[in-house]
Amino acid sequence: MPGLSIIIARGQAENFVSLGVLTQTAASLGIPVKIFVTGLAVPYFTKNKPELRPSAEFADYAKKMFEGMQKLNAPSWYDMLKSAKEIGDVKIFACSMTAEALGVKKDDWDPIVDDVVGATFFLTKTAGDTVIYI
Amino acid sequence: MGEKKLVDARGMACPGPIAKLTRAYREAKNGDIIEILATDQGFIPDIKSWVESTGNKLLELGQDGSGVIRAVIEVTAKK
Repeated sequence: MPGLSIIIARGQAENFVSLGVLTQTAASLGIPVKIFVTGLAVPYFTKNKPELRPSAEFADYAKKMFEGMQKLNAPSWYDMLKSAKEIGDVKIFACSMTAEALGVKKDDWDPIVDDVVGATFFLTKTAGDTVIYI
Repeated sequence: MGEKKLVDARGMACPGPIAKLTRAYREAKNGDIIEILATDQGFIPDIKSWVESTGNKLLELGQDGSGVIRAVIEVTAKK
């Protein structure tokens, strides 16, 4: 079944909200999801996550949005991904080249990450999928 | 009996090892054996996917204690 492939390459809070919402929604609909974590998103998928901040151009809107999400008791992006993995076919793959560049070792990854892969794996496994770049 | 080729991609990051393998594969004939050494963390899933995608045969795949991954491929899908 063609699925949804999401490439997350940025490290801003608003990107992670989109990642969590789309992944959880797809999992709820029975759509298989493959997430490829690369670039500036990589540190957030390790055990020692840096503080998540909105991008500068989003700053004015971010405070209101995140306060609103708190009022709604909206789950965090991480909880949304965990939940999506529990209810659906969701795999999270981390980019080996970025990991190497950032010095991320095998034991450093958050357990939510399924495997560390290269672009060959990702491109062959996502053929036919809808691909979203966040 | 085909030729044996060694592709040493140790120290190369993705997509280097697969690119180096592909260069060797271009020169290969059916029946040749290509041995690849790599240290990229993503090489194991990558080489499995490459073999599946190209239709060649993976004879051996393993990793030693120092992190070096060794894959041995039989070239079977050249036209």
